[in-house]
Amino acid sequence: MSLWNILLDTLTQGSIYFLIAVGLTMVYGILKILHIAHAAVYTIGAGVGLAVFKLTGSFWLALIAAMLVSGLVGVIIYRGVYFYMLDQPRIVPLITSVGLFLLIEDLLQKPYLMGPYQHAFPAQEVFPSITLPWGTIPNAQVMILTLTGVALVALYLIFTRTRLGLAWQAAAQDREMAGSVGINLNRAIALNFLLGSALAGAAGVLVGVFYNSVYATMGDVPSYKAFVVIVLGGMGSVTGTLAASFLLAFAETVLLASVGYVLPRDAIAFLVLIFVLMFRPQGLLGR
Amino acid sequence: MHERAPLLQIANLVVKYGHIQALHGVSLDVQPGEAVAILGANGAGKSTIVRAVSGWVKPAAGRILYAGEEITTLPSWDRAARGMALVPEGGHVFRDMTVEENLRLGAYLESDPRTVRERMEYVYTLFPVLKERRRQIARTMSGGEQQMLAIGRAVMRNPQLLVVDEVSMGLAPVLVDTVFEALRQLKEEGVSMLIVEQNAHETLNVVDRGYVLENGRIVLEGMADDLREDPRVQAAYLGG
Repeated sequence: MSLWNILLDTLTQGSIYFLIAVGLTMVYGILKILHIAHAAVYTIGAGVGLAVFKLTGSFWLALIAAMLVSGLVGVIIYRGVYFYMLDQPRIVPLITSVGLFLLIEDLLQKPYLMGPYQHAFPAQEVFPSITLPWGTIPNAQVMILTLTGVALVALYLIFTRTRLGLAWQAAAQDREMAGSVGINLNRAIALNFLLGSALAGAAGVLVGVFYNSVYATMGDVPSYKAFVVIVLGGMGSVTGTLAASFLLAFAETVLLASVGYVLPRDAIAFLVLIFVLMFRPQGLLGR
Repeated sequence: MHERAPLLQIANLVVKYGHIQALHGVSLDVQPGEAVAILGANGAGKSTIVRAVSGWVKPAAGRILYAGEEITTLPSWDRAARGMALVPEGGHVFRDMTVEENLRLGAYLESDPRTVRERMEYVYTLFPVLKERRRQIARTMSGGEQQMLAIGRAVMRNPQLLVVDEVSMGLAPVLVDTVFEALRQLKEEGVSMLIVEQNAHETLNVVDRGYVLENGRIVLEGMADDLREDPRVQAAYLGG
């Protein structure tokens, strides 16, 4: 595997990890809830995106619809479920979240929704492939890298330049006190779910297009793998999650290229997780 | 005596943590412009009153009125919007933010940037050390500096009612003086206060009136001067 391919795979895979995990990180940062059902929101995004793409033929409409619906589903999960568990021990929303994830995934497998099949998502042609002196970036990867770049800039601006971003940071550091300085926590947390879930929905579409495949159980691996990323990133830190996404993607890519015939990708991820937790339980980038 | 409604009125407040009852029907009030102390030993329920007034804990019974309006079940941010600011026990500064960011968050509900800057300058005159440290991350500061920051952050709200919980706890004596001097100055500027303290001596020099709390009940109330002379207060809280 060439250096160029390692770089490209790391960036692509890292981007996907980040888009999925950042919503989890934001939720964990403020509510300390391990929101497993986030992976179901990602699958819903892929499903909605594909449905709208089939209907309209427009990738952009599909992406926007996926983000809107996923965002809304996220808000509904918060206001309809977690909201009533905020004062409970953290194990209560955690177990609920697992239940919610299995419930949604099971529903999605019904024939009137996604059924037990893989569906093609042929929107790769929307983006051009780019040829650079060092190699070529295929069109689906151009899509993932550009859109993740846009999301990163938007997140950075929201977190550092807006009152909402300040409110999120304050709530993540001290939720009770954030309320007492006048931050409407109900609204701030709902918007937090909205954005995090919309990004997961976008990730669903991007992954669906990248692998040309959308199916009801596509959230299975991300449901636990996103936790590898947020644990490595130090639980609740957005910049930590960003670093951990690319670090994990890099480790996977390199190890896959060298010992891939023994260790598949996901085994590598969890080996890294177990190894890190044994020696740095606060995460690679945690304090 | 008072034509206006009390700024803060607590009536028959009961708070329970699980099966443990922390407050057994507490009633007290703070008039506009008045500073009122709640004195009592550790575990008497002082901080529970603050948590209920701030909206951090739901009362099992009783009412809390602010300027004549019921706020018993309002979320904390609505209380802040009505003009209340909190200096909680331990300060609760936003630990990964700078001094300046903490102060800005204190004025979260103030949209005019010039007003925010003016208030920040005012806080810096109250606590010059905060100006020197304005780029420092809050968690790296000493306990005393964090307490000053917590007071400064509350002042940024330009509050009608300042609720202060155990601000002198764990502070070196010289810092205790600085902190109480700041509270005295705020009171002179017309800020009403509810001050919860173990340090009765310093507190009674600032407040107009006080209540003594024991085992979740108010056992004594009176003007500050009378409380200072009261043999029960002297024996229990003034070391005399």
